[in-house]
Amino acid sequence: MSLRRRIASGAGLCAAALLITACGGSTGATVQGAKLVREGRLTTCTHLPYPPFQSTQGGKIVGFDVDMIDLVAKKLGVTQQIVDTSFETIKGGAALNAGKCDVAAAGMTIKPERAKFLDFSSPYFNATQALMARKDAGIASLDDVRAKKLKIGSQGSTTGEDYVRSKGFDPQSFDNSAAELDGLRTGQVDVIVQDYPVVQGWLKDPANAKFALVANLNTGEQYGFAVKKDGNDKLLEIVNAAIAQAKRDGTYKRIYEKWIGPCQNCLPS
Amino acid sequence: MSVSGTTETSRPSEAPRRRLTRRQRHRLVLGGEYTVFLAVLLALVLLADWGTVRLNLANWDVAKQLFPDIITVGLRNTVLYTLLAYAFGLVVGVIVAMMRLSSVPPYRWFAMAFVEIFRGLPALLIIIFVGFGIPFAFSIEIPGGVVGQITLALGMVAAGYMAETVRAGIEAVPRGQLEAARSLGMSYGRAMRSIIIPQAFRIIIPPLTNELILLFKDSSLVLFLAVTLEQRELTKFGRDLTGQVGNTTPIVVAGLCYLLITIPLGYLVRRLEARQRRGLR
Repeated sequence: MSLRRRIASGAGLCAAALLITACGGSTGATVQGAKLVREGRLTTCTHLPYPPFQSTQGGKIVGFDVDMIDLVAKKLGVTQQIVDTSFETIKGGAALNAGKCDVAAAGMTIKPERAKFLDFSSPYFNATQALMARKDAGIASLDDVRAKKLKIGSQGSTTGEDYVRSKGFDPQSFDNSAAELDGLRTGQVDVIVQDYPVVQGWLKDPANAKFALVANLNTGEQYGFAVKKDGNDKLLEIVNAAIAQAKRDGTYKRIYEKWIGPCQNCLPS
Repeated sequence: MSVSGTTETSRPSEAPRRRLTRRQRHRLVLGGEYTVFLAVLLALVLLADWGTVRLNLANWDVAKQLFPDIITVGLRNTVLYTLLAYAFGLVVGVIVAMMRLSSVPPYRWFAMAFVEIFRGLPALLIIIFVGFGIPFAFSIEIPGGVVGQITLALGMVAAGYMAETVRAGIEAVPRGQLEAARSLGMSYGRAMRSIIIPQAFRIIIPPLTNELILLFKDSSLVLFLAVTLEQRELTKFGRDLTGQVGNTTPIVVAGLCYLLITIPLGYLVRRLEARQRRGLR
């Protein structure tokens, strides 16, 4: 390589380095005032699998949350793209702050400590925590779990885990809901704490016939979608408008009945 | 004289096209490289928003609340899982290495299959298989709960590598050593135990220490099994806290804790290797 070419390539490298550092991540777009990380896409962060809110069926990600965010995408005139990331990066705001996605939809409970890192939408789902165990486990409450010294399992970084910890348990923390269910099936734990609608969904599967919902913990939680903290007010407005409209025009009820079951006072306030 | 005169006068006219000496060229290239390196560094320094970086990666208030648990729970468990898996892996690895060198063909076949499988599969796959696959398929519980599972899973991964290391070490001991031991009336097993293997281990201490470093890092995969608060190792600990405080500092601190162990171990490996090179074994 001649000297001149070396200098030229050196300068080129230098310019390239500057370009990379200067223009990193500027491929986004703005639609109706809402900032999107990828043009033509509404990118959603979730932690798979979490049926009936998000799970993979026949190579596609489907579920209650998917249908709800599709309504937002339709309003924006873009298509939804779902990326799978671990739950603690969603609830801690890291996924949104790092520009991995525009909106988080992960069956996530609205919590004051989470609202410090996220901007939550209006509530879109009423949920609570439930205990699932073998039908013959002979328990009906957390106190029974304690009295019988049963091993309890939870999903990492979730409200259910926080709840049983606040009651003095040290649950075995699984990475995702499917692993948690497997932990119960293999007897690694005797009882699991999980969001009520998820347990309900699992119990529809004949493969789980020997298990039952043994207790409802009545934690009275509400799910919310989330956008980047103080970063995307316009998108949040559109998300809220989509939720409100779905509740008004019956779309919400239709989606609820499709994924969850009969709607009795299902509309979140 | 006239010849030298012409050369002297012709030099100035050639000057613009004069080639640089090798030394000058070398200096220019070096200078160019430094310039690029400094420009990239400078760009990073100038373009990063250091306040935000510090707040997100090195937040002192967040870091403070990690202690002492990140050491007494996180680091402790990381070390515990690593040492258990290492001990298990070493025992299995030596056995497999002996089988690999055996004169019985089925032993050799088994040992080769073992090495290929456990060296060829990702550690995470084996951990999930041990954690969920085995209990499902055989409806047995691995004794020791999570600790037992991680010892078995990571131990098998380590055994795959260590079997090959141990085999190489045994083969590196001069053949005459075994012959001499046998001629002294030792049985094959006795000769192996007291003559060959001790010498082999001297040779393979550096690669075995390297394996310890690798295993130390792989222990982070335990987070894919179900762990209680008390069983969390560094990575799971950092990950959980990161979600709780909405800040990446716990991951950075967990990373520093790993280096606390791996850097001294790396130093030890270099020392051991240097000692071997000097022939002072």
